[in-house]
Amino acid sequence: MSSAPEIVFAGTDGGALTELAAYEAVGGLTALRRAREMTPAQIVAELEASQLRGRGGAFFPTGRKWSFLPKPEQNPRPHYLVVNADESEPGTFKDREIMLRVPFRFLEGCLVAARAIESTRVFVYIRGEYLREFEVLVSALEQLRARNLLGDVTIVLHRGAGAYICGEETALLESLEGERGQPRTKPPFPAIAGLYASPTAVNNVESITTVTPIIEMGGAEYAKLGVEDSTGTRVFSLSGNVVRPGNYELPHGYPLRDLIYEVGGGIADGRTLKAVIPGGSSTPILTASEAEKVTLDFDSLSQAGTAIGSAAVIVLDDRCCMVQLGVRVSQFYEHESCGKCTPCRVGTRWLTQILKKIEAGHGTHADLDLLLDVGDHVNGTCLCPLGDSDAIAVASYVAKFREEFLQHIEDGGCPFHGTSSLDGIVAPTDVHEAHAGGAEIHRPLEVVG
Amino acid sequence: MPFGTLKGFGVTLKHIFRQPITQQYPEYKRPVYPRFRGRHRLNRHENGLEKCVGCSLCAAACPSDCIRVVAAENTAEHRVSAGERYARIYEINLSRCIFCGYCELACPFDAITLGNEFELSEYSRDDLIYTKDMLLAEPIKRVPVQDSDLYDTPIPAYKSSS
Amino acid sequence: MSDLVKLTIDDREVEVAKGTGLVETAAAAGIEIPVFCYEPRLGPAVGACRMCLVEVEGMPKLQAGCTLTAQDGMVVHTASTSARAAEGQKGTLEFILVNHPLDCPVCDKGGECPLQDLTFRYGPGSTRMTFPKLTFDKPIPVSPLIALDRERCILCYRCTRFSSDVAEDEQLIARNRGAYSMIATFGDEPYRAPFSGNVIELCPVGALTSTQYRFEARPWEIQDVPTVCGLCPAGCNIRATTREGLVKRVQSRNHPEVDGGWLCDKGRFTFPHLRSDDRVREPLVRGTVGLEPVSWDAALDRAEELLRGAQGKIVTALSGSETTEIAYGLGVLLRRGLGAHSAVLDESTSAALDACRAPLSTIGAAELVVVVGDDEVVDRAPIVDLWLRKARRAGAEIVTIGARGSVPAPVGGAAEALRDLAAADSELGGRLRASDRAILVWSGSGGGGGARLAEAAHALGFEGKPGCAVFHLPARANARGVAEAWAAAADADEADPEPIGLLVVSGDEAAGDPSVRALAERASTVIAITMFHSLAVGWADLVLPATASLEREGTAMNLEGRVQRLRRAVTPPVPDELAWLSKLAERFGVALSPHAAVVFEELSGRIYGGLLLEQLGEHAGLPARRPYEAPEPTPLAHSPEANVPEDHFVGTLRLLRYTPLFSGHQVERVPELQFQRPEREVALSTVDADRRGIATGDLVSLRSNGTSVELRARVDARLVEGVARLADEHAAHLHADVEVVKA
Repeated sequence: MSSAPEIVFAGTDGGALTELAAYEAVGGLTALRRAREMTPAQIVAELEASQLRGRGGAFFPTGRKWSFLPKPEQNPRPHYLVVNADESEPGTFKDREIMLRVPFRFLEGCLVAARAIESTRVFVYIRGEYLREFEVLVSALEQLRARNLLGDVTIVLHRGAGAYICGEETALLESLEGERGQPRTKPPFPAIAGLYASPTAVNNVESITTVTPIIEMGGAEYAKLGVEDSTGTRVFSLSGNVVRPGNYELPHGYPLRDLIYEVGGGIADGRTLKAVIPGGSSTPILTASEAEKVTLDFDSLSQAGTAIGSAAVIVLDDRCCMVQLGVRVSQFYEHESCGKCTPCRVGTRWLTQILKKIEAGHGTHADLDLLLDVGDHVNGTCLCPLGDSDAIAVASYVAKFREEFLQHIEDGGCPFHGTSSLDGIVAPTDVHEAHAGGAEIHRPLEVVG
Repeated sequence: MPFGTLKGFGVTLKHIFRQPITQQYPEYKRPVYPRFRGRHRLNRHENGLEKCVGCSLCAAACPSDCIRVVAAENTAEHRVSAGERYARIYEINLSRCIFCGYCELACPFDAITLGNEFELSEYSRDDLIYTKDMLLAEPIKRVPVQDSDLYDTPIPAYKSSS
Repeated sequence: MSDLVKLTIDDREVEVAKGTGLVETAAAAGIEIPVFCYEPRLGPAVGACRMCLVEVEGMPKLQAGCTLTAQDGMVVHTASTSARAAEGQKGTLEFILVNHPLDCPVCDKGGECPLQDLTFRYGPGSTRMTFPKLTFDKPIPVSPLIALDRERCILCYRCTRFSSDVAEDEQLIARNRGAYSMIATFGDEPYRAPFSGNVIELCPVGALTSTQYRFEARPWEIQDVPTVCGLCPAGCNIRATTREGLVKRVQSRNHPEVDGGWLCDKGRFTFPHLRSDDRVREPLVRGTVGLEPVSWDAALDRAEELLRGAQGKIVTALSGSETTEIAYGLGVLLRRGLGAHSAVLDESTSAALDACRAPLSTIGAAELVVVVGDDEVVDRAPIVDLWLRKARRAGAEIVTIGARGSVPAPVGGAAEALRDLAAADSELGGRLRASDRAILVWSGSGGGGGARLAEAAHALGFEGKPGCAVFHLPARANARGVAEAWAAAADADEADPEPIGLLVVSGDEAAGDPSVRALAERASTVIAITMFHSLAVGWADLVLPATASLEREGTAMNLEGRVQRLRRAVTPPVPDELAWLSKLAERFGVALSPHAAVVFEELSGRIYGGLLLEQLGEHAGLPARRPYEAPEPTPLAHSPEANVPEDHFVGTLRLLRYTPLFSGHQVERVPELQFQRPEREVALSTVDADRRGIATGDLVSLRSNGTSVELRARVDARLVEGVARLADEHAAHLHADVEVVKA
């Protein structure tokens, strides 16, 4: 295991800090006290010094995002802080652990961030399935309120209703307003006209939680952690065919190889590494040899043609069928497409259909070309990144494992049939088949061929 | 006597002994070519439903404006065509028709085709307005058609592609 | 224009006002950016269909052109100069067509379909989609008027945006998500709203179609006749689609100042009354066994006989729905020819309103709107309701003063309320006086046909401010035009004939009016000019068939004071009014042309300052304001004052009758519209309901003077105390005071 400093999970000692007293015992609430002595501008400056970049996936500098919000005298409308706790990206499960283990550090971060953007209203949009996390937060909030620590800030916990798209910031805002969860066109960006057309900062749970230690230790000190352009630590969600999957807080720049073999204990069942998805299902895949070389930071992964995303490292061993992986990933995006813009609504479904056809062994070389062409038409033409994610991910599987796709086509079937590590993993579309509209939809049998 | 005159007589004389080529219509009916464009027919599917859905594209294509279509909706109890709509009224005014065949070209369902019948004279103009029933019915008079194998009638490109 | 920006689209330089949408900017440069979901009248662009993808220099991704506005120095490449944009657009169109059925020959939209057109221009020749298309049940009756085909739907969300952002009825929604998204109503209830039909016109494909127009005609078989709706005083501009001499549908013909391209369901769907079974198709004379059909010659002989027989003791009951020319023709015959100057008209409109007139679109830009009166705006002039909603969305404050107002007022208290507003100490009045964009609307009966409104506006200083205006919503479509034309026909003053020798009832509204019926009791003979048998039976000695506004040539003046031209969409089954009026006029020695255009010319010289018919154009303009003249008492003194306050009996409620939008002789004759007609219910205030132990849904009995009506109660929190509000058609013979008890 690594000896890296824990920042987000500091003081937990592997457990959870769900009592305020315990949290204070490890130095909790000092950031809040300090922040209340600082001006909002000073907090933002501290954040900019820390070079903290958004942990939700887009890696946008948090301090700069806040600085885009107009000052209250420029825009008299209320300012809002919205925390995106709608963690739904396949492979990502860091925010839930943060909310479970360090709820106070998270809420303290909310209060500090609210002060930085001069807001008294904080909305935490929490994924609907996260019931335990919700309860932990409710308990923590009550403890804070009992101690009168919230000041003039109101924190609203809003539970989602099971839509991945509501993790997209504008769709989240729509959902929060009670509308259909569909993304808005940008501009205007939320910083200018977000929730209820008011200036809004939308941040990820981990980003907000990291604000607390940054104020505690100082931005410059935090910036010393990690590597250039990717400062600080990151909670990596390690999953897939490793011996010890789980969340690991490590500094940026940590070698991916070490994460898999040292921290994760290597590939399970004595298999060999085939590929790694380094930042959640929407990031392009890395082959085993590429994975050996990269380190877990923005620059290294960008150079490798992928992205750090939400730091969800999915490890795939040699039994994994890349076409099946494509089907699973594409099915997820098809199921979660909100239906607002055409390329995503239609394209994700079409991609899934083509992939299924190839997986079933009925594909042709033309189908492979069509797959890439449809992906090209989806990528870059959608309203939000959801459709792009599907197209980019699938395109990367074809680009790096083309041989495997061709094998499916030429052999007329899946070479991994019966042995694939993805066998038995049920895709969400299959689970939710009944939700799609009940009796009203006549789903034609997917006749492939 | 000049030679030319004799030559003329010679030609005449030669023809006296030939079979006449005049054909005694209507006692004798000369077979029409297989792609001769005669009176229209409306076709049915094998299951008896009309192919025509009443889309009026034939009327739109008609250069002499002789087709009138009034559509109506099929119901479960009264199903006439395969689509949602059918032609409640389908009339062709054959006194105006120029037998260009554009209606056949325009039809997306091969519902209207031009047959070979050409004996369409009537005593009254009104009788030349053919209604849907008349067009759907098999023609009473049979027209002899040349053996299609004798003629090179390639399948037109627009039909071979579909 | 000071704020001009210069940008380059497809290497062409364009200069437009700042903030202009890119689609409009490109159009100004003669470049097409194809769109499906973009419709500026529905509010901000949503960028859903992605058809409008363009490449903007400096932006890495393709952009949805419809969501962009023109910026200085912007360099835009549309599909015609950018291979990337062309590729993106091609991809989008392919995606749209993936699940779209190829049933264009069957589809009502085929031939006038934007998707068909754009596919023809930009689309692929064949499909690469080899999987089965999504299929749904179809057609789904969204309401008896609208059929929904979900397979054809391309999910542009125009209809749901109209429902939520324009009409604000919030009834059409998108259900499910992703590829299985579908348009629906909540709980599959029928889409019952006054403006539902607009979604048919908005739909860029054949997903939402009219059930009335279903399979009736194809675009190459129809003629569109531009005319004006004659069913309410707003005078929305419409286009009547005709085929083989029959009106098949009515669509909006966007007059940006009057209707903004919207049309209410009454205007859109009521036309089948033209083909009603009980339409009077020939003159009828009362014989031994009721009304018997006679020839036109016999009818005119009989008419002459009745007119001569009355010896000038003639009263004319006008409907206010006639064209101005017909009213003038009646005036020429009866006043000039017979010296019969007496007429009744339910409501007239004061000319004093001209001092503060403005286009209806002024409402949309207002900041403060005060609506006085006991009637809902949507019942009187529905399109005004949409303008009010538009104003509210833009941040305007809407104050309603009336029996259901945000400021409660007693029934019939509108005139009083206006006087209070004009008083110096009124807070609201002060704001009206101070505002440059304030509007006053009178929505109810009484008030001297807007005279009280005009006085208030004068007192508030509206005349000098072009953004301030007043609108009186009369009950009848052409009330003002009819009154003015009647007045212009002769100069003599009217005198009340007693006894009445002959009552001439012009039009269906008059024929259905109880007060006109009461007048007929006092008349020896009656000539009725009506469209429908049931309106003539039992009281008329001679029935002359009337025509509908869709069958008339002529002009009408709407509530703004705008003279608009009606065009004959279809030939009526009977000679029109002017044809036989001119024949009759001849018999009485007065000249009247049978041609509306000639009559207008003569009339225009008298009251419109020589305005030419040609000047009215496609979209008639609104004449300039006129100097304020204090209104005189209305010339048609007979107009019955509605709801004259009486002494209040303890325990009784004042009956507040209203005429719902979906009522009247035309609506009654359209089967598809019946679901829109008002429920059989009476609205009671919370206090009155509580006092009587009545809850919403209870069966209650309304009693007065020996008559009683049973209907459902609805507790209306907005209604003032002491009032029972119900639709005219359910009020039957109830008197002004009713007892309400639980049945």
